[in-house]
Amino acid sequence: MSAAVAALQGWLDQPGVTIVLIGALVGIAASLLGAFLVLRRESMLSDAISHSILLGIVMVYLLTGTLDSPLHVVGASLAGLGTVWLTDLLVRSRRVKHDAAIGLVFPALFAAAVLLINVYARDVHLDTDAVLLGEIAFAWLDVVRVFELDVARSLATMLAITLVNLAFVLLLFKELKLATFDPGLATALGLRPVLVGYGLLGLVSVTAVGAFDAVGAILFVAFVIVPPTAAYLLTDRLERMLAYGCLIAIGSSLGGYALARAFDVSIGGAMASATGVFLLLALLLGRHGLVARAWRRRAPEAPPHVGMPAASAPQLDAKTPTSSDGGRA
Amino acid sequence: MALALLVASAAWPTSAHAQAEPAEAASQPIAVVATTQMVADMLTVVGGPCAQVTTLMGPGIDPHLYRASAGDVDRLSRAELIGYNGFDLEGQLGAVLARLGQRIPTLALAERIAEGVQAARLLEGEDEYEGETDPHLWGAADVWALGTDVAAEVIGQLRPACAEAAAERARDYAAQLDALHDWALASAASVPPTKRTLVTSHDAFAYFGAAYGFDVAGIEGISTESEASIADIRETVELVLETGVPAIFVETTISPRTIEAVQAAVRDRGGDVTIGGELFGDAMGDAGTPEGTYVGMIRHNVGTVVRALGGEVAAWPDALAGWKERWELDRP
Repeated sequence: MSAAVAALQGWLDQPGVTIVLIGALVGIAASLLGAFLVLRRESMLSDAISHSILLGIVMVYLLTGTLDSPLHVVGASLAGLGTVWLTDLLVRSRRVKHDAAIGLVFPALFAAAVLLINVYARDVHLDTDAVLLGEIAFAWLDVVRVFELDVARSLATMLAITLVNLAFVLLLFKELKLATFDPGLATALGLRPVLVGYGLLGLVSVTAVGAFDAVGAILFVAFVIVPPTAAYLLTDRLERMLAYGCLIAIGSSLGGYALARAFDVSIGGAMASATGVFLLLALLLGRHGLVARAWRRRAPEAPPHVGMPAASAPQLDAKTPTSSDGGRA
Repeated sequence: MALALLVASAAWPTSAHAQAEPAEAASQPIAVVATTQMVADMLTVVGGPCAQVTTLMGPGIDPHLYRASAGDVDRLSRAELIGYNGFDLEGQLGAVLARLGQRIPTLALAERIAEGVQAARLLEGEDEYEGETDPHLWGAADVWALGTDVAAEVIGQLRPACAEAAAERARDYAAQLDALHDWALASAASVPPTKRTLVTSHDAFAYFGAAYGFDVAGIEGISTESEASIADIRETVELVLETGVPAIFVETTISPRTIEAVQAAVRDRGGDVTIGGELFGDAMGDAGTPEGTYVGMIRHNVGTVVRALGGEVAAWPDALAGWKERWELDRP
């Protein structure tokens, strides 16, 4: 083992380092995708997916009869995608709005999971905790060997997921941007916004399962929604919004861990709270923040735009919820 | 944000020191972390001065819903021995601890006890558990007593100097637990045969029931995620009316609402049933109280059940006179 590898190993063997790294990776993976969810007004899909996961786990248990199977990850991801598909189906009926559709689908799937447990598995310790660890404080205990290093299992998984998400966003940046801001134009240009949307939400599902195992449900939902929202308050350019989101996620992981140590509280809870602190700071101090707004009240306000030509600007005005729902396909 | 990062990095060095210092000095007590209070009790008693035991899941905590704090990370990283129950009581954490065994010694106490128990005593396969072993082995004191040897063996391996004393304490404690078991049997025998039905919130008392002769009906089943259904409650109500059992019981780790619902439904149907008291199912009582020890927990559970169901508690065994004296002396 070379000296560099040994040094890296010594560093990784500290629980604190592994915990902060896992938190940061979950934060980056989640906020990269979360930025698009927030802009598409689909942030609550992350919450919906995290509930539907139980159905996937129950189904796989009923099919295989075991709680120890990698198939659970596949089942959970499929359940997440199923949520997205059913929501889409409802929205396309044009009878319900998107947020209502989300609210209709995931309680139904979650309830189905609970009923299945009641009927077929009432005496098995069956729930998401039984299959996914969901506690960042223990993630460092579970180690796998990767090349020459002993790495926490969640760290390895989340690193892989983060790289996939990063590649997805970088390679399909143009498509994602257009599908998010102007699905009509994206279709006209042959960019298949629906397919891009499913790719995005498929990755959200996979990330949700990975993040669930590593850090638990609430922290995942917080990382999907809060850092991008805070970043959105700081900038109108999509590229910067993505970068700021990642930085806020990293800061939340570090700050949250320090907070948890200082007060001896749940690490996941402290990290989620730290994202809230960043949001508060952005709300007060950001470009569109309360302080800036008070300052700018003397001068006429410039129309907001998020790195797109003026043609699509009316849809981007996320602060007026009624204006853009009609524009979504 | 730069400021926050600065603050965070200032706090960073503290985490670097969290790393375990291999304190192998043979005179130091073993740093033991136990998940549940039952496991902690066993390792504390058998370890004596050789073990410094901390418990992760305190009184009133459903092991299933436990959330770790940052301090738990430190305690685990400094641990020389991690004791846990096993058989999925701790959910996925148990699986992680089982894999951890190669790096830090771990002890799955209930699983090790089960190896020594005759297969006939292990509860599985009934409609309660499909192919999996019921993790609540501590319900029967004579079964739990088998853990004394296991604990002494592990402690002896970690501190050879302590091996003899630990084995001695294990023998003493096993004798006490056997006396406790006989006392529980004698107490339970006083309950009229028609009233030997134990209705509780969830299925944590299968071993208790099998050992002391009660038919156990847990309303919720094993998983606490799928709460009690209307059918569960109705079935329990039927059972209460049919058997005419005078009391039903709540658990310290579970909301009493379902049991109260059963009581209300029984009264609506013209029957009557009282709530016989609180039982310690998945956790023991507060540290520093008699119920914070294993002996005290069993004493409380047996006493509560026997008295509520019309029996009479037997005389406290001489072998445990010391225990009783210690706790009553400590009381104001």
